[in-house]
Amino acid sequence: MRLGARPAAGLTHSKGSRFTRRAFVASALAAPFAGGTARAAGALNAYSIWPENYARPMMEAFEKASGIAVKFVRFSSGEALARVTAEKNNPQIDVLFGGPVETFTAGQSKGVFEPYKSPSWADLPARFKDKDGQWTAIADDPLVFMTNTAFLKQHNLQPPASWGDLLNPAYKDMLQMADARTSGTAVTRIFSILQAHDRNEDAAFAYMKKLRKNIQSYTKSGGGGTLPVGLGQAGGGIFFIVDALFTRQKGYDVQISFPKEGIGSAAECIALIKGAKNLDAGKKLIDWATSPDMQSLLAPNKINFLPAHPKVAADPSLADVLKGAKIIEIDEAWAGANRQRIIERWIAEVLNAG
Amino acid sequence: MAAAVTARAPAHSDPFRMGVIVVLWLLLGLFVLYPLACLLGRAFSDDTGFTLGPIVGALGNPTHLRALRNSLVLATLVGILGTAAGFLFAYTVERTDMSRGAKRLIDLVILLPLISPPFTTSIGFVFSFGPRGLITYHLLGMQNAQVYGWVSTTCAEALTYFPLGFLALRPLIAAIGGDLEEAAFSLGGSRWQVFRTVTLPLTTPGLGNAFLLIFAASLADFATPLILAGNNLPVLPTDAYLQITGMFDLKGGAVLSLLLLVPAGLVFFAQRYLVERRSYVTITGKIGGRAHGAGAAPLARLLLWANCAALTLFILYLYGLLVYASAVVAFGANETLTLDNYRVIFTEGIPAIKDTLIIALIGMPLGGLYGVIVGYLIARSRGIGRHMIEIVSMINYALPGTIVGIAYLIAFNDQPLVLTGTATIIIACYIFRYSPTGIRTTVALLQQIDRSIEEASFSLGASSLRTFRSVTLPLILPAFFAGLGTVFIRAMTAISATIFLVSINWTLITVRILENMTEVALGPAAAFSVFVIVVVLAVTSLLNIALSRMTAPTQRVSVGTAS
Repeated sequence: MRLGARPAAGLTHSKGSRFTRRAFVASALAAPFAGGTARAAGALNAYSIWPENYARPMMEAFEKASGIAVKFVRFSSGEALARVTAEKNNPQIDVLFGGPVETFTAGQSKGVFEPYKSPSWADLPARFKDKDGQWTAIADDPLVFMTNTAFLKQHNLQPPASWGDLLNPAYKDMLQMADARTSGTAVTRIFSILQAHDRNEDAAFAYMKKLRKNIQSYTKSGGGGTLPVGLGQAGGGIFFIVDALFTRQKGYDVQISFPKEGIGSAAECIALIKGAKNLDAGKKLIDWATSPDMQSLLAPNKINFLPAHPKVAADPSLADVLKGAKIIEIDEAWAGANRQRIIERWIAEVLNAG
Repeated sequence: MAAAVTARAPAHSDPFRMGVIVVLWLLLGLFVLYPLACLLGRAFSDDTGFTLGPIVGALGNPTHLRALRNSLVLATLVGILGTAAGFLFAYTVERTDMSRGAKRLIDLVILLPLISPPFTTSIGFVFSFGPRGLITYHLLGMQNAQVYGWVSTTCAEALTYFPLGFLALRPLIAAIGGDLEEAAFSLGGSRWQVFRTVTLPLTTPGLGNAFLLIFAASLADFATPLILAGNNLPVLPTDAYLQITGMFDLKGGAVLSLLLLVPAGLVFFAQRYLVERRSYVTITGKIGGRAHGAGAAPLARLLLWANCAALTLFILYLYGLLVYASAVVAFGANETLTLDNYRVIFTEGIPAIKDTLIIALIGMPLGGLYGVIVGYLIARSRGIGRHMIEIVSMINYALPGTIVGIAYLIAFNDQPLVLTGTATIIIACYIFRYSPTGIRTTVALLQQIDRSIEEASFSLGASSLRTFRSVTLPLILPAFFAGLGTVFIRAMTAISATIFLVSINWTLITVRILENMTEVALGPAAAFSVFVIVVVLAVTSLLNIALSRMTAPTQRVSVGTAS
């Protein structure tokens, strides 16, 4: 009824203020529609698979050292790779930072990376680099068993010391592990199990099917199960050491142990994106991240990755946790070639067995 | 104002109306059909060209069929439970002598699930009902209670989505003229008879709408199953999401989402059939008072109150948990009070907060306007074009958000229209995905308004613009505000589609919450959630104040829709 009159009530400002407001509205409306094309010299965009609290101090140190401004967003490995693949014809970023090697070998097969060998490339052992320089390791991250201390006590258990220990009926519906469809942790776990069974696939899958009965939930991300284990909502699981130790640092009472048959480890990598708009800045970040410059910052920041560069020593407390652990090497070439098939078999025979 | 057109003039004789329809189709084509076509192109092509291989493969795959069946059963259960709860609350609020304070509390509590990021209910469930759950273990002393599976997924989704039903039903129940019920009483009907033969049938289109909204929301939800479904309840959206994000299998995810389209479409058409079969005009232009608590008998009223109170308390408890988790160092381990989590979100989280607010504030008015215009065209025009608009405008809502996100990513990453990395793509996604609430509300309101009111205005000599502005617009204003609210809320809380659209330049709070959760940083995740809730509450309160101020004069002509 009187609606027509209402807007008029708002028009009692002086002309000047009305124009100011209009200008403000116009600029507020215009800003978001501008593309992300503004590129100051010495700027760089990255997706980080490392969690924000690990990546941020690293990126800030790089900005300080290089004068290059870094913009980054964090995604889980699967999401980051799906984005990089979808953006192939119009790359939004220059560098994919962090994340397990299997994500990078998958990206390599999609042709999304630009080969680049940093000065440190030659110093690294073979498992820490692609032979053409499509990706390079910046850290190493072994898997561990992590269990809730109160849960162990309640069931009168020792921390699991063999793969077979996880089959104990006391763990029925009480283990949380990552889903192989999204998580690099899960893929590394499955290849660890294969390797621990001397790559006898049928034996490894028979084991995983038995283990399935004890799985309460398969989580989307590798670290996703650590909180339930910390809280005692779950009894335990298999996680990367970086997630397990972070859980302990947060104050949750958990045990870390290793299977005597051995467990796998994933190199954490970095790669240049094909068609990157800031190629030179991207190369500088890779130079820095693969060198002792960055990796010697891991320990002071309480980031529990093992440095990949042979010249950087692991933090003593981290080395202490790993003492006596048997880390088995996963053959990345074989894993890369069989990845898709193995994951599909896992989905069909293990995930959907329940 | 763009839809300021006559209700009965044929479309071709009205250039203004034609202009609106042309622009609308351009937008629908660009932001609904084109991305979908790009997605289908991916799903149905390989190096050799067109192929049916993937969809045939999916239909022959028992795993996918099981996920389809689970999705259908879950969405049906959630739809029924959610509609029932929505009706319970709407009826109780409108038809019992509830005190103003209690109504206010219910309005607030019912908003909570709607305005919080999608994980909050699930997280509350995990904390409450797991093996060490606050309720199952600490309160009831149960050993090894399992939270993952059918029961908690169904309940958590019903809790999350029943407010949609409440929002759809409440204006309808309020709009049922009290004179009809009173007439039934004076004819000797018992309270139950009146409820069954007058009130309930009159709300049937609303119940259909509510069920459709909740069913579709559940069908598309990936966040709740992602956390609560566990191992034995694979559903299509989660599987499609995992297929794409995890297996890098865009094609497989697209095919799974196509399976989802079938039930979403079927429910949509069933609901339309239901609504169109009968006429539900209750606002006749004659003076009729609002019902004043005549609806429910004392005993029924007590039961209604008790049920509402129990549910309200449970929701409050879940959100109490959230606030608590935001204010301690590490929930369940180190429960020292701290403001650290809030310090984190107001330092590291500032870019996400700023981006989210800008996007929400731009998307809100555009989405509200779009919803009302489309709703008006659907309810007040005839012919095939109307059905086409209705169907196309629902597509992005019915599709799982993940698929909409991926479709946008594919469509707008290449020429001719590169939008990835901009806010435009996110805003467009919100408008075309979340305005159907505004559209449905507009349609539902207009279906109750007899065209004769508008026609009376013409015959009294008013122009079409004047008629629209002084008759139709005030009637659909509540729908406009509902649309505004929904788009703002979704812009602040949605994740499934936008997780693929955020970029280096524009990121969102919900994505940061998901990241925080996967990083076991529950404190900042909870603090972000509390922040979102506070902001949305503030903005929706302002909207409500504006709405009540703007509609106050219209109530004198007995439009009981605005409360």
